[in-house]
Amino acid sequence: MNPDSDLQMLMARYQQGDLTAATALIHRLSAQLHRFFVVQLASRSDADDLLQETWLRIHEARHTYRAGEPLLPWLYAIARHIRVDHYRKARRTIAREEGLEGIPEVAAPPAGSGKTPGLEALLAPLPESQREVIEMLKVAGMSLEEVARATSSSVGSVKQKAHRAYEKLREQLSGMGQSKARTGGPS
Amino acid sequence: MRDREIDQVLNQAAQARHDVDPALLDRIASSIGSSLGPVRPLPPTWALTGALFLVCAAVALAGAARSGFYGIQKLGVFERTLIFPTLGILIWLAAMTFVSQMIPGSRRRVTPGTLLWVGSLALVAVFAVLFRDYRTDHFVSQGVICLAAGLLHAIPAGFASWLLLRRGFAVNAISAGLVAGTLAGLAGVTMLELHCPNLQTLHVMLWHTAVIPVSGAAGAFLAWLLRYRAGSGAHERSASE
Repeated sequence: MNPDSDLQMLMARYQQGDLTAATALIHRLSAQLHRFFVVQLASRSDADDLLQETWLRIHEARHTYRAGEPLLPWLYAIARHIRVDHYRKARRTIAREEGLEGIPEVAAPPAGSGKTPGLEALLAPLPESQREVIEMLKVAGMSLEEVARATSSSVGSVKQKAHRAYEKLREQLSGMGQSKARTGGPS
Repeated sequence: MRDREIDQVLNQAAQARHDVDPALLDRIASSIGSSLGPVRPLPPTWALTGALFLVCAAVALAGAARSGFYGIQKLGVFERTLIFPTLGILIWLAAMTFVSQMIPGSRRRVTPGTLLWVGSLALVAVFAVLFRDYRTDHFVSQGVICLAAGLLHAIPAGFASWLLLRRGFAVNAISAGLVAGTLAGLAGVTMLELHCPNLQTLHVMLWHTAVIPVSGAAGAFLAWLLRYRAGSGAHERSASE
């Protein structure tokens, strides 16, 4: 069965008040939503809070999901809005507290365990809008059309952001390959 | 480095495990479970759009019926057949955009900002083509009366639309406010076209059309204010805890 149609079925049961379906959705989707927040350079504890807030918002707005429509754009549109809201609130708080405590540190992106850098480290140099597009395409496995829906933009704009992100990644990865070659490491 | 190789690197990085604290997931599940019940899904988009369209038409007709249909009586057949269908199309478009603002991740045909400016300019163009009386008698005094009347009718249209769709807006409340204000403003302009007998070009182009941006801006401001107050409330609550 197509994983998205499986998710759609769970969502329909969640709308009917089925706790098992709601719990199954939480367990299946939380890791990728959490990663979405971490990739956007939130600290792990911030990502925990954002995840919790996202599920509460999903719960409040669950009636707005239409059966048969792809679930991920609906879900990510909400998660994205929570993240933007959090960013605005954080900026407001920083502005209030500026001069007293300084700007809180952003969590360092965790490095990958293997030869390739972790996704967070890999995407860290990209601008926010490109990072979220790559994350949705590569981690969530969404189509261009679905990413466009989740980000309230056009397919053309998503393609352009992905293209620019690939250009930056190409430079970054080529640079890493060259430095490894110079130090004699595996390329 | 080719795109395919970048794809491989990204896919490899994406496949790495990313765990979330199971206790957190249990906490989320239990907090949702405490208020879980069946919900009534939304009616189809066309039904919601149609309902919004009817609300706007009803407000415009009721307003004109109370104040008199002097405007439409003075308009010729050609003018009527160009002005009212244009307003109808714009109201339908604004209603559709309003509904799409209510549903996260829905397909966007037009953004609220574009709708406001394109709608206003389309009306200005229609009025510029139709009316050739360039006098400006009592330009400001009559204009302010029309602007106020249009905005007064936009208020019930906006309020009724908001009531109709109050179960949504999990995402961008300011965009929703902007498009709600635009829709309400279009209802106000429709009432003015039915009622106002002043067909001087500049009067209609400026004062009638101005209802749309003013109402749109008021809707966006109101939404921002509500969100800001909700945010401040949450901030104060978390500070006191």
